[in-house]
Amino acid sequence: MDSLFSQLTALGSSLALVCSFMLLWRRSLDSFASAFTIQSIVVSAVTAVVGYFGNDSDLYYVAGLFLLLKAVLIPYVLRRTRRRIGALREDTPYVNTATSLLIGGLLVLLSYVVTRPLVVLSDLPTRSGIPLAMGIVFIGLFVIISRKKALTQIIGFLVLENGIALLAILGTYGIPLIVELGVFLDVLMGFWVMQVFLYQIDQTFDSIDVEQLNMLTEVTIRPADRVSGGGGA
Amino acid sequence: MQDLLFATLAIYVLGMISAIVLRRAAGRAAVAVFAALGSSMGAAAGVSVLVSGREVPLAPALSALHPQVQLQADPLGAVFLVLIGLVAVPAALYGFGYSKSYEGRYSLAALGVVLNALLLFLTLTVTATSPILFLFAWEGMTLAGFAAVLTEHDRQPTIRAATWYVAISHVGFLALVVMFLVLSGGDLSASFADIRTNAESLSPVALGAAFLLALAGFGAKAGIVPLHVWLPMAHPVAPSHISALLSGVVVKVAIYGFMRISLDLAGAGPAWWGGVALGIGAVSAIGGVLYALMQQDLKRLLAFSTVENVGIMLIAAGAAIVFRSYGLDELAILSIVACLYHALAHGVFKALLFLGAGSVLHATGSRDMEMFGGLSKRMPWTSAFFLLGAVAAAALPPLSGFASEWMVFQALLGGARIADPEGGAVMSVAAGALALAGGLAAACFVRAFGITFLGLPRSEESEVAHESPRSMRAGMGLLALGCIALGLLPSVIVPLLARAATGVEGRGAAVPSMQLGLALATPSGLSSFSPFALATMLLVAAAAIGLSIRMLQGPFRTRLSVTWGCGRFGQTSRMQYTATAFAEPLRRVFASVYRPLEDVSVDYHPDSKYFVYRITYASDLRQSFAAYFYHPLLLAVRIVAMRVRRLQSGSVHAYLLYVSLTVLLVLLVARVWH
Repeated sequence: MDSLFSQLTALGSSLALVCSFMLLWRRSLDSFASAFTIQSIVVSAVTAVVGYFGNDSDLYYVAGLFLLLKAVLIPYVLRRTRRRIGALREDTPYVNTATSLLIGGLLVLLSYVVTRPLVVLSDLPTRSGIPLAMGIVFIGLFVIISRKKALTQIIGFLVLENGIALLAILGTYGIPLIVELGVFLDVLMGFWVMQVFLYQIDQTFDSIDVEQLNMLTEVTIRPADRVSGGGGA
Repeated sequence: MQDLLFATLAIYVLGMISAIVLRRAAGRAAVAVFAALGSSMGAAAGVSVLVSGREVPLAPALSALHPQVQLQADPLGAVFLVLIGLVAVPAALYGFGYSKSYEGRYSLAALGVVLNALLLFLTLTVTATSPILFLFAWEGMTLAGFAAVLTEHDRQPTIRAATWYVAISHVGFLALVVMFLVLSGGDLSASFADIRTNAESLSPVALGAAFLLALAGFGAKAGIVPLHVWLPMAHPVAPSHISALLSGVVVKVAIYGFMRISLDLAGAGPAWWGGVALGIGAVSAIGGVLYALMQQDLKRLLAFSTVENVGIMLIAAGAAIVFRSYGLDELAILSIVACLYHALAHGVFKALLFLGAGSVLHATGSRDMEMFGGLSKRMPWTSAFFLLGAVAAAALPPLSGFASEWMVFQALLGGARIADPEGGAVMSVAAGALALAGGLAAACFVRAFGITFLGLPRSEESEVAHESPRSMRAGMGLLALGCIALGLLPSVIVPLLARAATGVEGRGAAVPSMQLGLALATPSGLSSFSPFALATMLLVAAAAIGLSIRMLQGPFRTRLSVTWGCGRFGQTSRMQYTATAFAEPLRRVFASVYRPLEDVSVDYHPDSKYFVYRITYASDLRQSFAAYFYHPLLLAVRIVAMRVRRLQSGSVHAYLLYVSLTVLLVLLVARVWH
């Protein structure tokens, strides 16, 4: 029984991790959105599994809400935004595909290193999924750093959030429902704000290439601002 | 008694509210009344603590509000509660009349709030019993002072002064936070009693570091050299009654903090602590007065003189540490008493001088001494009060400055009892420095009084100057009485201060051998003095001189003539000694310190060098500390800041990378450590 439980969670976590890897080798925003949708479905399923084996009926609600929010609502908004902005491709990321995949692999290794004490100490049946969830968090971060289009970065943020949710469920069998709801609301609001900004950025700069934001920095640095000295002795 | 302090704090809050609610004269009056009432009640609490000689927990109502808020007056803090009252009551009274000229120009509400807030935080600082509370009150005091300095916020020098003040104060604040963290072992909410026990277990290196941090942190506020640069900028630009509080009280609270740490919380320190404090004190005393001598701005002169007097207090505090480390407890107590006495004495006479300078500013609209002259005829009261303050500041008997500096000398001369030759040598050098500072201070105040009040008016404004309104004269009068009382009654006050000193020493109720009675004898056994006898002798001598002149010359004839006319006709004010000229001999003697920049240019008649059209003489002091200490420092900070600025590339990706790398690093470090 227990072994089926742990196998299911490990399988779910692995699938979710593979979905985040999709962000690294695909180029089009459509495929990013579908990768995110699949990942959300998987995380939701893992939540339901933990709820079933852990006898926690609250987790069913969490899973349902999760599915509604991240597999239906957010992908819908994403697709609508993409339609408004046009079919964009992440053609020139800072890090090319091969190197990205390599770094992704290293990040997963790193997550095994940093979660090692947790996994060793823990006797949860879900413990084998913890490093994988951590890996999703790291890869989400990496996507945000290395990709130029604002929409890709938003998806990176959403993936990162999925990783955190998965980590919470695997590590603690789900945090209290009320906290979970708060987190959902946070994600939704954050996402909403980003959408608005994204639209504004696109309108203003005619591009959602975040690189362009560099222009907003102070360009001139005056080295010779006079040192105004003390009047005293 | 216990609730007296709570009432004090509540009254200050009322004062702040009334400043906002009430307008014009009513507002000014309410602010002054609440500030005076609050500070006099605080002083009453302080006196009762000193008389009883016990620590008294204060304001239990506040402690009930939050268990962390524990206020307590022990004899040491009580001395400063008294000082706040001594200065704040006259300053508030004076402020009622003085701030009238601010009506319509600057916010009176802000000024009233700031005055009461400053007093509130001062009171909290000297009664706090835990680092967190102390630091909170300290920061409140700094910010209130900052707002006070910024009152005339539309002037460039004011903004500059306030910026320097707040920058140096916050560097000092940082030093204090680290110092408390070291002493308390990382728990800022520990009580002072806990810190005392914790400090006993600290290593000498940690304690030494804490001492140096305390010296730097409190020194930044007190204005010790080289952290003093803000003080001569900030104190003069504040409204004069606030200047009096800043120079008279706020600076002393820094001395309180230094004594609290170095003599109380950190335990008995090694002799080198005292040596460092003595050295810095001596440099501050001489440096302060040397620069005071050269100032043309009257209030700036007074501010530099504050640097000098802080140096004297630091000398006394340092001497106390040295004596204690050699086991000479009686001399240590005498030094502490001398330090406290000088804090009181300086608070009173410097406040008086600032109020006097404020009256002159009020009457003439200027702080430039070269514009004054002949004010003694036009402002007789102010002139008399200023003279009294100047005599006290010059440490002449029988006024307050003499009594306190005499005790400092007695303590230092007692250094002969130190067995170690180094210790004795340090003490005698410090005594020499103090003597030099005292002599220069006398010259400085002769100049300040003479150029300002005597001779002929040097400007239109001085010509038509008017005496100050009654409230301002009353404020100065109270302080003048304070100067006289502190000068005549040391034998009453010293035993009370000795309670504070023994409390600091932590030796229970050891009886200091300063005897009650009219004469004051010191444990060094070198000398004693009776202020009353001295005052009587001076009066008798003055009367005798007057009488003998009268007897030799016959009856006086009254003859009206030009002041300092010397029989010449067509005397103009341009023929008299100027402030710069008066200081010129000393400028030459100490040229190596001042490094004056001088520029003389002469316009001749084209045909003959013997016909001079015009001679222009310009002179300025090299701003040594600004040039050799602060400018390089600022430059270095700027260079580092430019380097760091490269991190701020403006690239969102770079920022995200920093965040992610930090997260990874933290995780890895945590992993490696476990």
